[in-house]
Amino acid sequence: MRTAISDAWWTGLGAIGLPRQRWRSFPRTTRRAVKAVIWLAILLILIAAFGVWKASALAVAAVIALLVVPAWNRLPYGKFIVPLMVLGIAVAYPYYNTSMPQLPIFGPFPQISTMVVMMIFTMMALGLNFVVGYAGLLDLGYVAFYAMGAYMAGWFASNQFAAQKLNFGAVGLYPGWSGFHISLWIVLLMAGIATSIIGVLIGLPTLRLRGDYLAIVTLGFGEIMPQVARNGDNLFGTGFNLTNGTGGITPIDGPGFGNWADQHLHLPSNYLNASNFDSLFFWTAIVLVLITVFCSMRLRDSRLGRAWIAIREDETAAAAMGIPLMRTKTWAYATGAFFGGVAGAYYASYKSGAFPDDFFFNISVFILCMVILGGMGNIWGVIFGACFLAYLDREGLANVGAWFSTHTHRQIDVPKYEFGIFGLILVITMLFRPEGLIPSQRRAAEFHEGVHDEPLYDHEIAGA
Amino acid sequence: MATNVATQAPLRARRTAVSYLMPIAATLLLALLALWLVVNFVKGPAYFTNIAFIGLTNGAVYALVALGYTLVYGILELINFAHGDVFMLGALISASMMITNFGVTTHSSTGFLVISIIGSLVITMIACGVINATIEFVAYRPLRGAPRLAPLITAIGVSFILEDIAIGWKQTGYTAVPNVLPKGNVFSVAGISYTWEKLIVVFITVPVLVALVYLVQQTRQGKAMRATAQDRDAAAMMGINVNRTISFTFLIAGALAGAGGLVYALYFGQVRYDTGYQLGLIAFTAAVLGGIGNLPGAVLGALCIGFIQAFNEGLRWHSPGSDWTQSIVFSILILILVFRPEGLLGERTPEGG
Amino acid sequence: MPDALLETQQLRKEFGGLIANADVDFMVPTNSIVSLIGPNGAGKTTFFNMLTGVYKPTAGRVFFGGEDMTNKPPHAFTQRGIGRTFQNIRLFQNMTALENVLVGMHVRLKGNLFEAIARTPRVRNEEAAARDRARELLQYCGLVRKDQVIGRNLSYGDQRRLEVARALATEPKLLLLDEPTAGMNPQETAEFTAFVGRLREERGLAVLLIEHDMRVVMGVSDRVTVLDYGEKIAEGTPAEIQRNERVIEAYLGAAAVSHS
Repeated sequence: MRTAISDAWWTGLGAIGLPRQRWRSFPRTTRRAVKAVIWLAILLILIAAFGVWKASALAVAAVIALLVVPAWNRLPYGKFIVPLMVLGIAVAYPYYNTSMPQLPIFGPFPQISTMVVMMIFTMMALGLNFVVGYAGLLDLGYVAFYAMGAYMAGWFASNQFAAQKLNFGAVGLYPGWSGFHISLWIVLLMAGIATSIIGVLIGLPTLRLRGDYLAIVTLGFGEIMPQVARNGDNLFGTGFNLTNGTGGITPIDGPGFGNWADQHLHLPSNYLNASNFDSLFFWTAIVLVLITVFCSMRLRDSRLGRAWIAIREDETAAAAMGIPLMRTKTWAYATGAFFGGVAGAYYASYKSGAFPDDFFFNISVFILCMVILGGMGNIWGVIFGACFLAYLDREGLANVGAWFSTHTHRQIDVPKYEFGIFGLILVITMLFRPEGLIPSQRRAAEFHEGVHDEPLYDHEIAGA
Repeated sequence: MATNVATQAPLRARRTAVSYLMPIAATLLLALLALWLVVNFVKGPAYFTNIAFIGLTNGAVYALVALGYTLVYGILELINFAHGDVFMLGALISASMMITNFGVTTHSSTGFLVISIIGSLVITMIACGVINATIEFVAYRPLRGAPRLAPLITAIGVSFILEDIAIGWKQTGYTAVPNVLPKGNVFSVAGISYTWEKLIVVFITVPVLVALVYLVQQTRQGKAMRATAQDRDAAAMMGINVNRTISFTFLIAGALAGAGGLVYALYFGQVRYDTGYQLGLIAFTAAVLGGIGNLPGAVLGALCIGFIQAFNEGLRWHSPGSDWTQSIVFSILILILVFRPEGLLGERTPEGG
Repeated sequence: MPDALLETQQLRKEFGGLIANADVDFMVPTNSIVSLIGPNGAGKTTFFNMLTGVYKPTAGRVFFGGEDMTNKPPHAFTQRGIGRTFQNIRLFQNMTALENVLVGMHVRLKGNLFEAIARTPRVRNEEAAARDRARELLQYCGLVRKDQVIGRNLSYGDQRRLEVARALATEPKLLLLDEPTAGMNPQETAEFTAFVGRLREERGLAVLLIEHDMRVVMGVSDRVTVLDYGEKIAEGTPAEIQRNERVIEAYLGAAAVSHS
């Protein structure tokens, strides 16, 4: 985090025409004075936003944190302190979000429902990060995994297959229910596994292709899936209703811990009946994101993670070092698919429905944008990118539009231009900072120095 | 000094069993396809032919766009994602020109119509060419040395930007184009009818194609394009200004897309901001089917896709229907890229495509 | 007669109309050092690429340790025990030296995805042992205290050494070195020649070198094979090759032969 701050500092200076050498050439007192002025300015802004007491408290806390954190890191488990604090702040959000002040331009802090969506998209972005960030495979069809997960929830936690009647741990069933109703926690796992199987199947023909062809083919799969969903109410004329067509599958059960847990452990029996249903979904989403982050970190520092990075840098050399290309790429794809599927199933439960209109190409690009803006391959960057862009999509752009309207007296419907704005973000990021806002050091080097992009070997089929 | 390590075996590289499967499966598939077509033909030859004419006309429009994809890919090995949206802008520009600037209506005289169409064509082609070349200059050129995926991602971004420009200009609804093409039949024989509007599409498309062929084969610039496409460094060493050649290629590709846009606007009658995305993917599939980088291949592929689409949506005996057109086109794309990436007319290069 | 560790029969590679390698019969005995020489464009690197599965031969076969390796993918070659370096260095430029070597160990380590997530004791021990071995290899190859240096920032000579270390990490039986002394000064070349000898003595490796520097070729090889225009034109001990007329003609032209 400190490198990110100092990174931002140097970038900012560079932007106003003061590269490192020039800055260092100023006399020491001048530099100190400038820094002091900046701190004072930040303090004044905080006071203006929060009021004197809260601002001073925040300032003191920040100073303590910045001074003490490096020392903390040296304690045995010290490096967990800051993340735990951040986690605490996040988990407590539902309790203080209404008392937060308004931000300039963006307006109020996001609602809990928006935070739930932010967490879900964070999970998806982290899933895509395995594919794009670690292994360097451009996947333009990630929405297919999201769709698969959602429909898994639709099949196994709703009345869709009304000819069957199975209840395995589901909560909140109305009298007269039918269909498969498996406990949503199990369904999440099933969705992840099923989606990763689909990922492997899609990967088999696809992953041997060169980068740009891979992108297009994944895009193709990403388009075919929703079409199958839309037309799936009468599959090939057999009358079998797989996806309930354009109407989608709704309603979908919510998660819950059942009546026993409610009485004895005070855990909610059924999220959908609870009064703080948004908060419950939010906290569970945080848990899911934590699991994803955990897996990301473990894999990044493992043999498989190194293999992914090697493939991304130089496929031929990686193969010469004994890395089986297809198998390794498939693992990346399957892992990304797994988390996409879980996220999709969870989102379907939250929305209580799996609707084909939710799955379209732009979503794949949306998630890709999160990974690229945040910093390909860097977990925290991806989380930031995901939260920021998901927030923009749900509330941010509308708020900005409102601000525009009141201040410029012109009605610009900003959310209508959402994807143009994301497109602009993509272009600007690629041109000026392709490693993303919070990159991993490696990635920055790759983009500015280049990689061995060309595969050396030919794909001749034997005997051809 | 070789020791007897292995028994004598045939020394040619062996074919695996799987590699026999592919041609067999392909032949089977094509046989089924042929059967389906023949049955449909027998059931209504006149109707079949009319559908075929529709396919031909669609194919012509796709050809104009597919050529743009293939030109750019040939010279830069870049899939210009934004190309379909340049086409869409071309359609909107030409529609706007004809309605607003020329004031074409269904009551306009034929002479005036011809002049306005030609005028709009020229202006649209120039405009789209300039737009495309500008995009290359601003968004792709700085990334020439970057990993290959970088310009591809940028192209996606540009695509979205163009779509929103269209939204800003013409809102999210359809822009209607006056129905000015004559609907009457050029000829009508035994139920087979060929309308004037289809012929006009061909009238506009063919000269553009001929001009393109002349440009690429006979002019210096065309030769520079071909040289740069084959080997950029060698071309540079021969004194070819690579940057200018690439800009010129984008200009031409954009002009073709603009022409396609005008034809689309006239023939299909309505355009929307996302028309380019759909059609762009179809045209890209056509380019890949014919062999990406191969100009005649792009036209051939476009005609094939045009026919496939028309047959799928028009024929009546066991046809999947328009719901499945997109999936069929994408399946073709996937199958080609996986099994025969060089397409129908392309050459097998070491990188497999 | 020593056993053939690597053997090719009538190995041929065509690129369209260009014949890069024409029906080459070739053999490397176990624990020997063989050099492959020839003028530029003779097809030596293409041959290497076929020996490591990077190119599929148009015709002919490759045997390693008695097993038919033709048409197997590159990682299978590495797994069976062929390691290689590249003519123009193909390090993982943005990884540290240590990480480069660790990637080389990929094929000898066992941890899979689930174990990696769970960080089982076995994986932890395996990783720790791997890091130790990697540091050892870096030392052995002359890269002292450079573990954490990013590949791109190493000097040219160090990059070459790192490539060898990385190839050694795959625990090969046969090491293929593609122009390893290119760009080295005479002292470095001499050191390297001694190093290749040590690889054979201390690690029991067989080494196949593509080389242009005759001091290395003559200094350390047991046998020398000469390619020209894709064909094998001579094979024998270094002394025999030096006197071979066809070799002299290939390198220096027909006029030189009559003057030798």
